[in-house]
Amino acid sequence: MRSRLFHNAYIALRITRKDLLDFWKAKMLLATFMIMPILLMSMFGFMFPKTGTSNPYSGKISSPYKNVPIGIVVEDGGALAFQVADQFKRIAYSTGLFEVQNFASFGSAREQIVSGNLKGVVVIPTGFTEAFASKRQAMVLITVDDTNPQMASIVYGEAASIIQMISNRLGASMITRMDSSMDPSFVSEPISVERRNLISSTTNTFQFLAPGFMALTVVTGTLSGLGAAITREKEQGTMDGVMVAPISRHSIVVGKILAQTVRGMIQGFLILGISMLFFDVRVYGSPSLMVLVMLLGVSSFAGIGIIATSIAPEQETAMMMMMLLQFPMMFLSGIIFPMDQLPNWLQAVGKLLPLYYAADGLRKIVVLNASFMQILPDIAVLVIYSIVTLGIAIPVFRKAMTR
Amino acid sequence: MEPIIKTEALTKRFNDFTAVDHINLEIMRGEVFGLLGPNGAGKSTAIRMLATLSEPSEGTARVAGYDIRTQAEDVRKRIGLVAEKLILYPRLSAVENLLFFGELYGLNGDQLRKRIDQLLGMVRLEAFKDVPVGGYSSGMRQRVNIIRGLLHDPDILFLDEPTTLLDPQSIRFVRDLIKELNADGKTIILTTHIMEEADELSHRIGIIDHGKIIALDTPAELKRKFGCETLQEVFLEITGRTLRDSATNKVPMRKVMGRV
Repeated sequence: MRSRLFHNAYIALRITRKDLLDFWKAKMLLATFMIMPILLMSMFGFMFPKTGTSNPYSGKISSPYKNVPIGIVVEDGGALAFQVADQFKRIAYSTGLFEVQNFASFGSAREQIVSGNLKGVVVIPTGFTEAFASKRQAMVLITVDDTNPQMASIVYGEAASIIQMISNRLGASMITRMDSSMDPSFVSEPISVERRNLISSTTNTFQFLAPGFMALTVVTGTLSGLGAAITREKEQGTMDGVMVAPISRHSIVVGKILAQTVRGMIQGFLILGISMLFFDVRVYGSPSLMVLVMLLGVSSFAGIGIIATSIAPEQETAMMMMMLLQFPMMFLSGIIFPMDQLPNWLQAVGKLLPLYYAADGLRKIVVLNASFMQILPDIAVLVIYSIVTLGIAIPVFRKAMTR
Repeated sequence: MEPIIKTEALTKRFNDFTAVDHINLEIMRGEVFGLLGPNGAGKSTAIRMLATLSEPSEGTARVAGYDIRTQAEDVRKRIGLVAEKLILYPRLSAVENLLFFGELYGLNGDQLRKRIDQLLGMVRLEAFKDVPVGGYSSGMRQRVNIIRGLLHDPDILFLDEPTTLLDPQSIRFVRDLIKELNADGKTIILTTHIMEEADELSHRIGIIDHGKIIALDTPAELKRKFGCETLQEVFLEITGRTLRDSATNKVPMRKVMGRV
């Protein structure tokens, strides 16, 4: 009984040894296997710095965001409105958190938020000075980029803190002149802050996550599907049967991509359906524009997928190479964490990846009802990516298959 | 007879290893040509080049009158390939597999369905035509694999070890099928390690070793020339009796197979 147990354990160890030996001999697989955790951990290390920085004004431990672009609109013509705006800009500048630009109207600032150039806008509305003069609480409106709930909450929180600070200073200066006609709540908080949403309803985190996950699923589905499909066909021999037929190599590549695209799109819309049914996600934009962005997302990645799988010697290496591409992209393209959380150089890396543009475009359509023109930069990048990568992939595929 | 395949210094190198070395060969229309050789001798590489699946490093060949380098698509229309590995999708049924491959050759509709029924009848698999081929026996799979290569009625059929791993009944069936196809006018290029099979089926035999054709004649003439009773003896006489993978006779497998 005991010797049988030892024998079984011995055999198990021999199998383990053989599997590891086999793995050790697959050099390309081994390389991707080693790079993956190194890449992941170094990326996370940069994403989540070990120490936070303290904001001297709000007293909060804030995120490492710097120079976040926001706008300010002074709709009120009174001197106090301009004073408050000036103070806001000065404090924002000294904290280094915001880079404040002046806008003539809320409409023009809103346009810049939808285009992704601003993260929020502070509006000092008409009637601000008048309310103050008649010893009523004056109001400041803050609108933030709802496509990114984490960033939105930071921008709103910090901008509101600055307004609060200005309000406290004004209140303090009034205490000495306080008389019975003054409402104590006006003296304690002469300026109130209200949040004005960019879209009609309140946003939730899923509103940010769902479009990103859609883009991610479509893209990763295509990548891993292509990896499996091409290398499997190469290994089982069926690719020879296709290659020996009198058909264009382009048809093979496009056919393979389309099959994976259909699969990816089904998954993408399943994610959207579940998000809408169970997580209150609302689509404000055009579904056909969403399909266009997803298709472009797929085509921008298909070339990369074809190149990787063409050069991979077997299925396992191809899958590992795909994972090596997918994981960093997931974190660097602003799918799960807002990109603003990354240091500048990592943001620059993320912006080299087509997934960022697919997710950004989809998010703007879903959350902000962006038009074709408003997401044109995203679309242009995806089109360029598709042309360049597919242009490289087709000859690489042909070469690899006729080696 | 006119040559249907004519190679001109056909060569394939993998880095510094020459797998096929300046082969000049003529295969006649209507012939069954047996291409024999030890493992790693260059048979499959030569066939892959003739089937336009691998680009020659040097030289070229004309297949059915077309240049394999510059007129690959015309070559592909006229050849059928039954490779060593099965060219079938295991999850799909025989009909689904054959429909797909038929469509790649521009066949469709009733014409294709009739052709599939006719071919399935020829290999006696009508009853299993809707079953996934992954569930077939080796013999059944190879029969479907062969008719897959015949869907577009090619002039030339490349058969790479078509009877390996088959039971005696299936072997007999496949060999008779090859004879029938040849009687119908198809030129067949056969590679096999079963010398008895090559002897039975081939009009002429070419023996390839170290990438070069080292013997070329009818089986009877080869046996006469070397004074051997069997083709197996001729083969061993020409290519030697030592194992190709022994220490003294290393075949650079890594170079032959490419990256592992």
